[in-house]
Formats: sequence, structure tokens, C-alpha cells
Amino acid sequence: MRIELRDYERNEAYDELIDAAGQPRPAARALFDYLGRIDAAELEARRQAVDAAIMAMGITFTVYSDGANIDRAWPFDLIPRVMSRREWERIEAGLKQRLTALNLFIDDLYNAQRIVKDRVFPLEVLEGSRNFREQCRGITPRFGVWAHICGTDLVRDRDGTVYVLEDNLRVPSGVSYMLENRQLMKRLFPEVFEASSILPVDDYPIQLHDTLAALSPRDTDRPVVAVLTPGIFNSAYFEHSYLAQQMGAFLVEGSDLVVQDDDCVYMKTISGLRRVDVIYRRIDDDFLDPEAFRPDSALGVPGLMRAWRAGRVGIANAPGAGVADDKVVYAFVPKIIKYYLDQDPIIPNVPSWLCMYDDQRDHVLAHLDELVVKPANESGGYGMLIGPRATASERDKFAALIRENPRNYMAQPTLTISTAPTLVNNHLAPRHLDLRPFVLQSSRLHATTGGLTRVALREGSLVVNSSQGGGSKDTWIVDTEE
Amino acid sequence: MLSRVAESLYWMARYLERAENTARLINSTTQVLLDLPRGASFGWDVLIKVAGLDALYHQHHTELDEHHIMRFLIQDERNPSAIVSCIGYARENSRTFREVLPMEFWERINALHLYIQRNAAKTTLGRTERYQVLNEIILRRQSIVGLLMGSMSHDIAYQFIKLGRNIERADMTTRILDVNSAVLLPRDSAASGPALERLWMGTLTGLSAYQMYRRHVGVHVRGREVADFLLRDPHFPRSVNHCLGEIETCLSVLPRQATCIQASRQAWRRLESTQLKEMAPVVLHEYLDQIQADLGVIHDTIARQYFHLHQNLPQPAGQTTNPSTQSQS
Repeated sequence: MRIELRDYERNEAYDELIDAAGQPRPAARALFDYLGRIDAAELEARRQAVDAAIMAMGITFTVYSDGANIDRAWPFDLIPRVMSRREWERIEAGLKQRLTALNLFIDDLYNAQRIVKDRVFPLEVLEGSRNFREQCRGITPRFGVWAHICGTDLVRDRDGTVYVLEDNLRVPSGVSYMLENRQLMKRLFPEVFEASSILPVDDYPIQLHDTLAALSPRDTDRPVVAVLTPGIFNSAYFEHSYLAQQMGAFLVEGSDLVVQDDDCVYMKTISGLRRVDVIYRRIDDDFLDPEAFRPDSALGVPGLMRAWRAGRVGIANAPGAGVADDKVVYAFVPKIIKYYLDQDPIIPNVPSWLCMYDDQRDHVLAHLDELVVKPANESGGYGMLIGPRATASERDKFAALIRENPRNYMAQPTLTISTAPTLVNNHLAPRHLDLRPFVLQSSRLHATTGGLTRVALREGSLVVNSSQGGGSKDTWIVDTEE
Repeated sequence: MLSRVAESLYWMARYLERAENTARLINSTTQVLLDLPRGASFGWDVLIKVAGLDALYHQHHTELDEHHIMRFLIQDERNPSAIVSCIGYARENSRTFREVLPMEFWERINALHLYIQRNAAKTTLGRTERYQVLNEIILRRQSIVGLLMGSMSHDIAYQFIKLGRNIERADMTTRILDVNSAVLLPRDSAASGPALERLWMGTLTGLSAYQMYRRHVGVHVRGREVADFLLRDPHFPRSVNHCLGEIETCLSVLPRQATCIQASRQAWRRLESTQLKEMAPVVLHEYLDQIQADLGVIHDTIARQYFHLHQNLPQPAGQTTNPSTQSQS
């Protein structure tokens, strides 16, 4: 038995690999040539090999509600998501444009606030921002960059347009899975990698290291870089440890660090204190420094903000960078790009209605059964209303929430996000997916080649978050012009 | 090296050593029982006692039979020294320092963890199944030690692994030696002479020491000579003397090690100077207790010097210790 493409039933969504005529798109041809040559039993055997490898390598993520069972194997689909190099290059340019503008925006907000004075960005949005940190006013970090690592979620609608769904500027995760997925695929399908031109992804840890090292306040060849993790019970702990390992950085917890009277940050080592130059923090602002933010935080380091303000340590992302990671701020990004760069956005935003404006709110309330409503500051797919799938009482509850706090909500049309063939019980079935590339900025800009493709493994589901039943695929950027 | 990482490495090694030695303790005891003469008696609860777990055991159980005691020692997660718990803690600890170990280490320890998770229940099916599963654990654990010896730089991180392994190993050797004190042989000395010899042979076999004993001590297995070999032989890797030597070698490359070396020498001097004049169980037991106490002092000194060095510095509010690095000693 072979994997038959003619049995593949596309739904109304755009399919990343198969065109409307049921034929593989150009970038996916080599893949399907290959799949056409192996039979289903062979594929199943390889799928089992992947599962075994995932178990053995201990690629896991943590689910908060699982109680004692703290990690789960990472659900992985072995049919890759494929994109042509030409399309990817346009997207890459768009991602870099976006992060450049966002960093100019954040720096402006904490300093002159020109964009507010010029009435491009409303003061009331700034005032209502939960992630604006008073403690960061008047600071300009190195290179004027606040968000050094950005995970941008992209989706493709029915007509093939790629949109930015959100910008994750706080502590975006997932890049380790992108790297591990590629390792798994190379173990499994070495033949395809030989036969076609799939661009490599594995320079990310080096790029990340260089991005971080550039933030070192000391002029030294080998700055001490530390990844600050909340610890083993955090859902992304695997990734923290993985990145530290790949970068040759120290993996530290808050209790390993101490800020001394000289405003420098030190690690506690077996031979005494050792200075830390750059901290890649994977904990939220709120928990970063109990002296500056939440006093009950046991995860952070007392005095860390003091050290950062004194310029004695680099922190990525900078405290306060999350101000631009807000679904209401998101709606202004096209204007932000225009304002700072005098350019049109290369990748468009999903059209959005802001509930803070009376007319837009009325539209949202009148069309709750068609729209997706999102709170401004949640991530991981929490606290959302998917109108067409919600019950009447859920919609009523949301209408009340919106009226109570309009600034906190925005709405978008329900997109029919694209699909790709996914292996389900030995045959291919369409499953919805998104793409999270990671963009780095300090002394220079860098984007991952492709990114992490997250796929909703349940039939018909549009939710790709790993915490809610999502899995992932390897992402191939394929050079077809040779 | 971060103090926290050094501590985790140390405990990871101790937990793995403890898991292996508990498996050895159970297997050797089971073998010994097969050879007991008519009229001899044995209480399984001695395993709980020598492991220092009797108080905890009695919190959860009243029965002192083989079945309950084996479950408690092998698969009861309420027992932090159960084989399942030790391997679980070792794996959790090693998640916190994957970056300092060879890449395959994680795959192997993860595989060991999955193996015991899947097979722990089998150990209750019968002594044969139990022997096989425990033997597999010993085997896999040895392959992990081999991996570290052969592919990890013998750097500071390695020293902490070796320290943990040797302190735990010395401690467990004294505990395994202590088990025979629980066997009561019949008074008839014609029967008890050879039986006693077989008992001590069992102890040596459990520690993979029989062949080396024969080679370096002699063919006759006498309690006093076995104890002397397992405690004072300078070359056998599971003897307390050898472990103390290894501990001192590790310490000598660590920074500011003077007080730790002092503690280690103190233990060594006591080991050397005490003459075992009689092998009465009570005397041996007290002697072993003293060695365990000396090892405890070495542990405390290392903990103070390297793990909790900075405790006088301001700490984040509400800081708690990692639950997976709790101490038994």
C-alpha cells in the first residue's frame, strides 16, 4: 500500500503543499516524489522510530494541569510543511521590518513618546497598557533595542495571503522544537535531504549567542552569558536547558544570582562569585526582580533592575519590552511601521476591531458569532472567544466582559487558516497550522530559516498551541530555482 | 561551576549509586536465603533497618513480609530511597545540567527511567522476574558510569559526580555488610560453620567481590576477612578504603578543599586504626555505624564548602530548596 495523493481530501482552506488541482506545489514536489516511492508500512515504521527517538531524547513539554506528570512527549508529525525560498525571503524581509519598527516604538515610548505627541498612537492605549513599566522610563538599552528575540505568529488565509497574527516579545518559546524537529527529520528521511535543496536551520543557537554577547557591558572576548529559567517545573524548561547547552551558556535560576553593592550581577559558583555579563531571561517582567516588581517573587533576583539600569548587565528581552506585545498595540503596528520607517508593511496585519472605539465595539458586539475576540494580554490561546464555535451563553459572557473593559479586547474575523497534509492513521488528512519564525536583533538582524510550524492535530481544530492539543512539523524552506 | 549544579551532579550520582546498590542488596539477600540451613531464620525487615528506613516504613506498613518490603524498596514512590524514586530523582536532577554532560547521558538515564517505570510492577511476580529486572537496572546503571568515564572530560563536574558516587558506595557497602547480622543460625556448629561461610559468600557475590576476594585473600570465606576486605582493601573499588582514596583524589583538584580533605583523612585514620577483634554482630554493627557517621561528616563538609557557600548573602524571599535534592544522610 502506498500513500496516495488522490485520496487526500482538501477542505475549504488553502493547503500549503497541495494546489487546487490536487497536485503538489512546486516546493513540495520532491517530497511527494519520495513519499510516492515508500509504502505505508514503511512510513508507519518510521513514524514509530520518531516516537521512540522523541521518548529517548526526552523532547518534552510540560502541561500545567498534569499535576505530578510533569512532562509529555512532544507531538510531532512527520510530513513537513514546505515553503518556497522566494516566498520565504519576502516574509523574512517583512519580519525584520516589523521588529525594527517595534523596537523603535518601544524605545520611543520609554523616552520622548513622539508617536503619542504626534497623535499616531493614542495616549489612552499607553495608559491602559499592563506591560508598560514605569521603572524603564528614560532608559535606552544598547543599540536602542528592547526586544532582542521575537516570535512572530504567521497564518495564511483562504486566499493565500500570509498575515501576522501576533508578535511575541516577552518570552517567546518553541525554537528548540524547531531545531529538534529538523534533527528528527534528518535521522528519518536522509534521502530527501540529499535529493532536494532544503535550507538548514541549525545556526540559530550561534546567532542567538552572538545577539546576546553583543549586549555585554564589558569589552571581553568571551562574555559570560546566562539563561535565566524559572526552573524545572516551567513548561518551557526543556527549551531553556537546550538553548543553554547549545550556546555554551550557563543555565541559572534566580537563586544562583546575586547583585552586589557594585551593581554587578554575580553567579554563585563553587569557587566563589563570578560576574555575569548578559542574561537571557525566560521569566516574565513581573517575576524578574522582587525589589522592582512583584515583591513575592521567588524566581527573580533582587536588585537586577538596578544592575540593568546602571548598565552593568545586559538583559534580553529588556524589561518592559512586553509593552508592544499586546493585542491592542498590535492593531497599530502598520501605523507604527509607517511612522518610524516610512514604509508600508510587507506582511499585513489581520484586520482588527478595537473595542475601545465606540463604533468598532458596536460592530464587534453585533457580530460576536462571526468574530474571534482576544484579550489584550493573554498568550497561549487562553481567554479567547471563537465566535462561530461558541455557545450563546459564552458569547453573552464575553459581551459583558467587553463592555466592562473595552480597552482589553480586540476582535478579528475568523480566518480559515491554511492546512497541510498530516499523517492520521496511515493516510494523509488536512490539519490547520501556523508558523512561528524567530527574529533576533541587537547589533544586527537575523531571522530563523522558516520557523516552528505548529499544527492542530484534532480534526477541524484551529488551535495550535501545544498546551491545547497542538503538535508540530518540520518546516522546509526549499530552493526550487536551481 | 554553579554551586547548585555541583550539588545536583553530586546527588544525581548518589541516587544512581543508591539505586544500583539497593538492587544488589536485594539480589544478594535473595541468593543467601536459598542456602540457609534448616532451622535458620531470617527477617526481611533487616533490609529496611540497614537502609535506615524503618521509621518511614512503619508509617505506611505493618506487615514485615518479603512482598511488602520489596514493594517498598523497589517501587514505592513514598520512599525516597526506593529504586524507582532514586532513578526518578537522578533523572530530574540531570535535567538541570544537561549542558555539562555528554549528550548521550540524557538518553541513557531517560531510558533507565522508562525501563523501571515499565518494569517495576514485574518485580512482584516472583523472585526470578525480580532478579532479572534488578539485574537489568544494575547493567544499565553500569553502562551510564562507563559512558561518563569514557566520554566526559574529567573536569570539575566529573569530580562532583565521582564524589557522590564514592560516598554513597562506601555507605552502601557498610550497609550490605550489616545484613548478615540479621541471620540467626542454629546453635549446632557443625551445620552453622559451612552455612556461615555461604552467607558471607553471598555478601561478596552481591557486591561483585567474590572473585577478587578469592584472588587477593583466599579461598576460604570467613566473616572477619570478608569484612576486612570490604572495608580496608586498598584496591577493590567498592571497599570503603578505596572509596575514601577516590574521595580524596577528587577533593585534591577542587578549590579551597583543605577542610574537606581533613574530614576524609579523619575517616580514613579511624578505619585504619580500629582492629576488628571479634565478629559478633553487635560489635560489627557499631563499627559500621561509626564509618557511616564519618562519611556523613565528609558529606556535611562538602555541602558547606561547595553547595551552601553563599548562604550568608542576601537570598530572594521565599527561596526553597529543590525538592529533588533532598538529603537522606
